[in-house]
Amino acid sequence: MLAKHETVLLAVILVEILLFQNLGRNFLAESNVSNIFRHSVEIGLLALVMTPVILTGGIDLSLGSMMGLCAVVFGLLVKQFDVSPWLAAVAAISLGAFGGMGNAFLITRMNLPPLIVTLGTFSLFRGLAEALTKGSEAYSGFPQGFLNLGNANVLGLPAQLWVFFFITLLVWVLVHRTVWGRSLQAIGFAPQGARYAGISVGRNTGMAYVLAGAIAGLAAVILVARLGEARANIGIGYELLAITAVVLGGTSIFGGSGSISGTLLGYVAIAILNNGLSRITAHQIFDQPVSSVARELSGMLTGLLLLLALAAGVLLKSLAIRRARRQSLITTTNPTPST
Amino acid sequence: MKKYSREWSVAAAFGLLMLSLLIVAPHFFHWQPLLSRVTSQMPAMVVALGVALVIISRQIDISIGAQFSMCAVIAGLVAASGLPLGVAILAAIACGALMGALNGLLVAYLGLPSIVVTLATMVTWQEALRLWQQGRLLNLPEGIQWFGQSQAQGQAIVIGATALLLILLSWLMKNIAVGRAIYAVGSDAEAARLAGINPQRTTFGVFVSMGVLAALAAVMNLVQSPQIQPSCGDGMELKAIAAAVVGGIAIRGGRGTLWGVLPGLLLLANVNPALTHFHQPPYWEKAIQGLVIILAVVADGWNQKKQSKNG
Amino acid sequence: MVGCKSQTSSGGGEKLTIGLLPKSKGNQYFVTCEKGARLAAADLGAELLFDGPTNTDPAKQNEIVENWISLGVDVIAAACENKDGISTALKKAQQAGIKVVTYDADAQPDARSFFVNQATEQGIGDQLMDTAAALTGGEGEFAIITATLTAANTNEWIKYIKERQAAKYPNMKLVEVKPCDDQKDKAQQETTNLLSAYPNLKAVIAVCSPGVPGAAEAVKQAGKAGQVKVLGLGLPSENKAYVKEGVTQAVVLWKVEDLGYLTVQVAAAVAQGKLQAGATEFDAGKLGKLEIQGDNVLLGKPFVFTKENIDQFDF
Repeated sequence: MLAKHETVLLAVILVEILLFQNLGRNFLAESNVSNIFRHSVEIGLLALVMTPVILTGGIDLSLGSMMGLCAVVFGLLVKQFDVSPWLAAVAAISLGAFGGMGNAFLITRMNLPPLIVTLGTFSLFRGLAEALTKGSEAYSGFPQGFLNLGNANVLGLPAQLWVFFFITLLVWVLVHRTVWGRSLQAIGFAPQGARYAGISVGRNTGMAYVLAGAIAGLAAVILVARLGEARANIGIGYELLAITAVVLGGTSIFGGSGSISGTLLGYVAIAILNNGLSRITAHQIFDQPVSSVARELSGMLTGLLLLLALAAGVLLKSLAIRRARRQSLITTTNPTPST
Repeated sequence: MKKYSREWSVAAAFGLLMLSLLIVAPHFFHWQPLLSRVTSQMPAMVVALGVALVIISRQIDISIGAQFSMCAVIAGLVAASGLPLGVAILAAIACGALMGALNGLLVAYLGLPSIVVTLATMVTWQEALRLWQQGRLLNLPEGIQWFGQSQAQGQAIVIGATALLLILLSWLMKNIAVGRAIYAVGSDAEAARLAGINPQRTTFGVFVSMGVLAALAAVMNLVQSPQIQPSCGDGMELKAIAAAVVGGIAIRGGRGTLWGVLPGLLLLANVNPALTHFHQPPYWEKAIQGLVIILAVVADGWNQKKQSKNG
Repeated sequence: MVGCKSQTSSGGGEKLTIGLLPKSKGNQYFVTCEKGARLAAADLGAELLFDGPTNTDPAKQNEIVENWISLGVDVIAAACENKDGISTALKKAQQAGIKVVTYDADAQPDARSFFVNQATEQGIGDQLMDTAAALTGGEGEFAIITATLTAANTNEWIKYIKERQAAKYPNMKLVEVKPCDDQKDKAQQETTNLLSAYPNLKAVIAVCSPGVPGAAEAVKQAGKAGQVKVLGLGLPSENKAYVKEGVTQAVVLWKVEDLGYLTVQVAAAVAQGKLQAGATEFDAGKLGKLEIQGDNVLLGKPFVFTKENIDQFDF
């Protein structure tokens, strides 16, 4: 039951795999496939929870900074207050939820624009993280059991991937199978209409931000486990990557339509692109081996991909409208209003 | 005065900051460092003016930092190749206009959402620049710094040009049809169209202007030192948007005055210098700026609530 | 899994594959290192993979190392931004049978076989402090411009600057350490602020290369060239004009290209088992025989570029 957009994404992913299998060195080696996901789980998590936020017509620019703050608090609790890492993880997630509540309050209760509120918290959360660490401290030396969350395999797959599967399932169910989730699309599509339909717009929208903040806390913990270090600049730029994955996946930035499966595919497409380019050691571009400029190339290609996806979406829509118009001219009805 | 209460409160906050500096750390106002400091804040001011126009028209442009860097590098390369500064400036403007036109085309004529379009163009230009320049510091030839004039004259030119742009653009926005079209399109594009305004052309024009202003800002930055670093525009988009928003430009479009951007920018840009002069550690800067942004936006919300109660 | 190197690595299997990791790609300092590294790789007939972060995301260095593990390189040479974080990945590399050396900025000692150090941290700190003292007559306030507050190697240098000052120059006072995020413009603005916040400032030491021209420009614009001494760890090519004008009095560095060259030589030797723990000297090709202190391979002593000799260098 894949939508057209998702079919195209699947095709893109297949093309990427074929391309990198051919051009890249050991692209499909088990260690590399494992890396693809292990390195991008955090962004994937952010993308998953960014989706319900964007469905409501909002946006959350503060998720990356939230990661930094949660990571630092986590590190503090474990290293300075001798809290067990698992307890500290719960604290970090709660802190994320709390930060999300802050965003939610400003956006839904005070009716302030999400872009600017989260621009402010983007700065504030990162600033608090830097202040807590006095700009320089980093916490490390976590117990091996905790570090395994980020580095070991469970049943053949990276440990954090299992967490990711679980959260994907959870978010999918929440967004597509609960009353709350379905209200999000209505809110994004027409907030006033949703209100008249009896939906508690403020509360439902707010919960999307709380969920996003909590999962950002989780992502922070996973990243700290992977690096073995907690510092204030964790997660820089991750929110933009998450937004890219969501939009690539077909969710409309204006809200009102989108899917978790789309986001998932968008995220996979980007993760594979990022990794695949860094495996091409035998070919050159602009006098440099591709693998040396993988980051720059994947950034440029992601940007172009995003534009193509958007433009394609618009073209398809206008084609569909034209087709619908033609059909409606056959039946004598009122002329369709121009868009 | 009530109409501009927001702009005046930000100006007042800035004034308070300056007052406390005057009392606690009067060296802040030592002539030479002060002039250099103000001059270095002017490029961000010009970019903020541009993004204010974009926001008033109910769009957003987060690619302005990348545009700034690209124009700076283009200008620097042209100047370094021996061509006169005037040619370098024109090259930068052309570059900025083109990048703005691309954004404008995609947003205005294809109807794509501006936040995603400018996210895509930002990433593309940023990475392309990194690929191309690899972070090389570019040495500029003699006669480029300060437009070939003395330092005092050069600083006067930069500050004067910024002031001129501010006055000119503010006047245009209030008094020329194009300016009012921008407000109209930002308020309600459909109503504007019915009133005879072409929303697409207006939006396109706004993005091109943004590109041109980014280019001018890049040139103003270029002449302040004999070297160009390709990462000079990093973070510029956040500075500019925050300055515009704190200065009263409403993100929902159609409201705000360019004059407000000035205190908005000055307030945010002087947080770090203030911290230094109060002998406080620098890592409070982001937290303070975040608070200022949130306070400004909350104040907006209160005002709106009051107005809707009264109106 | 992580236990074995990929069999189809480095086609032919005989050619050594070296992964060179800078702190960041956007820094002329590391670009120059890479130049020297490529020369050594060419001399040795080895394949050099060069990749580094383009922003400050702390996860990026780890991801590059893990990518190389999966690619099956023979040895990794890393300049470490986050000492503890990168050690996690480097240890994984060691477990996979890949040799690890560090250069410019060290990791945890058990995460690598050798550290190619341009000079000892203490040597760098001492040289900077001594030069500053010599320029200011041993008294006055001074400030430090650093890249980020979190980088371990600059923090080490700063620590030794402080110790040297406490031990030998009690009449000097460090007033501030300000980060510039490797941005020349930010260094310029920070220095401008420092000049007016501390009117008795006598010297600015910049320990990151974009910081030196940035600080110099600020001092020049404030009209305090010569009054406030500027010195730091910078590239001669970026500071020539300021040194000649007398704005910057001393640029301390080392032959950066040689550092890259030496790093690759050491990496190759370690990978081939030619350099083992306990060695006290190392034959570094065109660089001759170099001293090894413990597990530090030393390039030499810091070099001071001044008005007199700066023209001889073009990096």
